[in-house]
Amino acid sequence: MAEFTAEVFQNEYLPDGGTDVHAIVSVTCRGAGAAGQSGGGDAAEVIIIDTSGSMGQPADKIRAARVAGQTALDRILDGTMFAVVAGTDQARVLYPANTPMLVRMDANTRMAAKLAVERLTPGGGTAIGRWIDLAGRLFSSVPVAQRHAILLTDGRDESERPEELQAAVQRAKGFFQCDCRGVGENWMVNELRYVSSELMGSVGLIADPGAMAADFDQIISTAMSRGVANAALRVWTPQGAAVQYLRQVAPAIEDLTARRMFVSDLIGQYPLGAWGDETRDYHVTVRVSAKGAGSEQLAARVQLVVGDTVVAQGLVKAIWSNDDTLTTRINPQVAHYTGQAELADAIQQGLAAKSAGDDVTATQRLGRAVQLASQTGNDEATNRLRKVVDIDDAVTGTVRLKRNVARIDEMDLDAASTKTTRVARTEEA
Amino acid sequence: MSCPNCGAPVASTDTFCEACGTTVRRLGAAPTVDLGGSAPPDPPDPVEPVEPVDPDPVATATAADPSNPTAATALGAPVDAAAVDGTGPALLDKTSFLPPPRPPTPDPAVTAPVGPCAECGGPVGPDGYCTVCGVRAQSERDHWREDPASWVGAVCDRGVRHVRNEDGMATAATEPRASFAALVVCDGVSTSTRSEVASLAAARAARDVLDAARPSAPDDPTARAAHWGRHLTDACRAASEETRRAAEEVGDPGNPPSCTFVAAVVQDGALVTGWVGDSRAYWLPDDGVAVQLTEDDSWVTERVALGVPRAEAEADGRAHAITRWLGADSAVDTPRTSSLRVDGVAGWVLVCSDGLWNYCSPAPDLRALVSAMVAGHPEGNAVAPGLLAADLVAWANGQGGHDNITVALARLEAGDAERWQDATLEITVPVRLDPPDGAQSPTAGGT
Repeated sequence: MAEFTAEVFQNEYLPDGGTDVHAIVSVTCRGAGAAGQSGGGDAAEVIIIDTSGSMGQPADKIRAARVAGQTALDRILDGTMFAVVAGTDQARVLYPANTPMLVRMDANTRMAAKLAVERLTPGGGTAIGRWIDLAGRLFSSVPVAQRHAILLTDGRDESERPEELQAAVQRAKGFFQCDCRGVGENWMVNELRYVSSELMGSVGLIADPGAMAADFDQIISTAMSRGVANAALRVWTPQGAAVQYLRQVAPAIEDLTARRMFVSDLIGQYPLGAWGDETRDYHVTVRVSAKGAGSEQLAARVQLVVGDTVVAQGLVKAIWSNDDTLTTRINPQVAHYTGQAELADAIQQGLAAKSAGDDVTATQRLGRAVQLASQTGNDEATNRLRKVVDIDDAVTGTVRLKRNVARIDEMDLDAASTKTTRVARTEEA
Repeated sequence: MSCPNCGAPVASTDTFCEACGTTVRRLGAAPTVDLGGSAPPDPPDPVEPVEPVDPDPVATATAADPSNPTAATALGAPVDAAAVDGTGPALLDKTSFLPPPRPPTPDPAVTAPVGPCAECGGPVGPDGYCTVCGVRAQSERDHWREDPASWVGAVCDRGVRHVRNEDGMATAATEPRASFAALVVCDGVSTSTRSEVASLAAARAARDVLDAARPSAPDDPTARAAHWGRHLTDACRAASEETRRAAEEVGDPGNPPSCTFVAAVVQDGALVTGWVGDSRAYWLPDDGVAVQLTEDDSWVTERVALGVPRAEAEADGRAHAITRWLGADSAVDTPRTSSLRVDGVAGWVLVCSDGLWNYCSPAPDLRALVSAMVAGHPEGNAVAPGLLAADLVAWANGQGGHDNITVALARLEAGDAERWQDATLEITVPVRLDPPDGAQSPTAGGT
C-alpha cells in the first residue's frame, strides 16, 4: 500500500501588511508497488515509433528504434494491456495488426509484438497529432485504470497543421500520459515539450541512436513502477485568498497553475498523473489579504489525493510580525527553486534570442543562466551551457557566445532546461 | 483585520464589514463576560475553587505594613532574595523568552480547538485551523478575556511562538469604579511539566482569597493597606498550594509545575501589590511619574544589585532565570509586597507577564505605549479596559509574540477617591534599581 508524506518548507513570517506566502511542498511516495497491480484496474502502455522516411537516413536510426521498441516490450509487465503504433503522415497499429484494440501482455503477445517491431520500415511523413489520436482510440478500446504512452520521433510535425497537433493533444490531455523522445537534430524541442508537458510526461533528446534502448528501458521501467494510478494535488486557500501560481519544481519545472480544476470555492485540484516511489517538489504561492502583526492564519492546505482520499497534507502558514529578523529570512528551499525556475527561463529565452539573431539578449540571458546554475549548484546545466557559451566568470555571469555551436548541443540544453537539482546540503544548513 | 467573507479591510472597532455586511469580530476576542459580578465566570478547564481564607485581623505583619522595617523595599537596598526566602542560590531556568523550535503539529491534547472558528464562525478542521478563513482556532485556554467590571479588564494569550499558553490570570472587581479590584497573573514556567494547569489554578485560588477578603477590609486607609498586605500573602500561599496540588496530579517529581505570582489589589485609592518572580505590576498615571510596583526576582536584578552593570547582566545567558517562584520545588510561598496611594489620580494599573514587558520594560515607555493605544480609541481613557488589554497583547504579538502574554488593567479617575482623600498613608514603592533616565526617582509621599 502506497504511503505518502508531505513536508512544507517556508518562512511563515510576513511583514505587517504582507500578502504573498511562498512555500515548497515536498511530496514523497513509498511502497507504490507496480502499475496495474494495486487491484484498482489494469495498466495500459502504447509504444509510438516514428517510421517516417527520415528514420532510414541514416539506417542506424530505424535499427536503433527497433531495438528500443523491443527493449520496451521486454520491460512491460505481464498483464499490462498494450499496443505498438507506427507513425508517419498517418498512424497505423503495428501490433496487434488489423485490430485496433489493446491486448494483454504475456509471453506470446510479447514475442509477436517484437517480431512486428523487427519488421518496421521507414517511409512517409510526420503527423504526430494523428499518432496521438490513434493512441487515444487504443486506450479507450478496453477499460483500464492507468494509461501511459512513449513517443519517439526524429522530425518536426510537418505533415499536419499546428492546430491539428494542438487539437489532438487537447483530446488526449488528462486521458493518458506521454513521455516524448526526440532522436537526432531535426525535431523541434518546443513542439515535443508542448506535447509532453500537456500529457504530464517528460521530454528528452537522444543524441546517439545507440542510447535509445537504454532510454526506453528507463522510461518503461519508471512507468511500470507507478503503482498509484492517478494522484492529484488539492489546494485549499482561505476565503479572500488565491493561488498565484503552483508549479512542480523537482524533478523538473512544470507550471501547473492553469491546470486547476474546480472542487469548491476554496479548493482547486491539479492532476498529477501516476506515481511511483519518488519525491516531487511543488512551489506554491498564495496571496492572502494583509493582516496586522501578531495575526496568524493558514494560507493553504496542500493535500495529495488519490481518488477522493486525502493521503497527505502539508500546512502553509502565515504569521504577521514586526520582527525583521523573522520576516526577512529567506527559506533556502524557496530561494533554490526560485533560482532554478529562473534558470529554465533564462536558458529558453537565451536560446530563442540566439536563434533569432539577437546576440546581445542571448549573451545576457545565457550569462544569467550560467550564474544561476552556478549559484544553485546545477552542474548538469552548467556542463550543457558550456557547450553553447564560453564562461569567463560564472559568479558574475560573464559569458561569450561560442561560434559554430553544434545544433544538437543547443537542443540538448533546451530540452533539459527544466531539469532541476534539489537543495544542496550546504544550502540547507 | 479583514473581513472573513470578502477580505476587505475592517477596523478593529467595526462589528460588520462595510463592503459586504458580514458580521465580524476582533481576532481572538473571546465572549466578554457579564459585568457587575465580582468574579467573572471562569474559562473552561474548571478547577476546584479553594476555600476562602478567613481574613484574620491579627495575622502577622507583612511587608506592606509600614511599621515593619523590612517591609518596604527601599530604593537602593538590594534585595537578597536567597537570604529572604532561604532558597539559596538555586536558579530556575526560565528561558521561555527564547523561542523554542515549534513542533510541526501542535499537541491536540492541549490546544484542541473548541467550537466554531472565533473569527468567522466556520467549522474548524482537524488540523486546528478554520476551514473557511484559515485562522488558527484557539482553545479558550489559548486566549481569553475577562471584564469583571466596567473599569477592569484583562486578556491572556498564547502569543505567537509558544505552542501552549502557560500564563494564567484571574480577576475580580466591583462597581463603582475604584471600589475594589484584584488582578492576578501567574506565568507558568515553560520548562516544567503542565505549568499551564498550575498557573491558572494558582491565579484563581489567589483571586478567590482576595475576593473573599474584600468585605472585611477596614475603612482606615492605613489599616486597609495592612489588611491587603496580609491577604496578598494568604493569596500567594493559596496559589502556592495549587501548584503543589498540580504537582501531585502530574506526578513528575523531577520537574514539577511552577509559576510566578503577581497580584494587585485596588481599593479606594490603595494600590497594594504582592509578587514572586518576574511578573510585574505598574502604576501609569496620566500625569506624574510612572512607576513599576514590583521588583523582579531574577538573576539580572540580583546581579545588578551586586553592582554588575545592567547591560552586562542582561547579556548573560541566565538573564531570564528567575530566583523565586511558586511550586513544589520551591521553598517560597510569601510574596514581597508594595503599596501605593493613588487617590485622586487618574491613571492605569497594569499587571502583566514578561510576554508584554519583554518588549517594553521601563515604566515611562510602557505609559507611552498605553497612551498610544488609548489614542487609537475615540472614547480615549474611557475605552473598555479589556479592549485596551487586547490592544497591548496584539502589540506584543506584533513584536514577535515570543512568550505567552497576559495584560490586566484597571482604570482610575481623578474623582474616584474623594471620600477618603484626607487619609494619610505611607507609600512604599520599590522601583527599578537603576532608572534609565533618572525619571524614576523614588516617590515616597505620593501625591
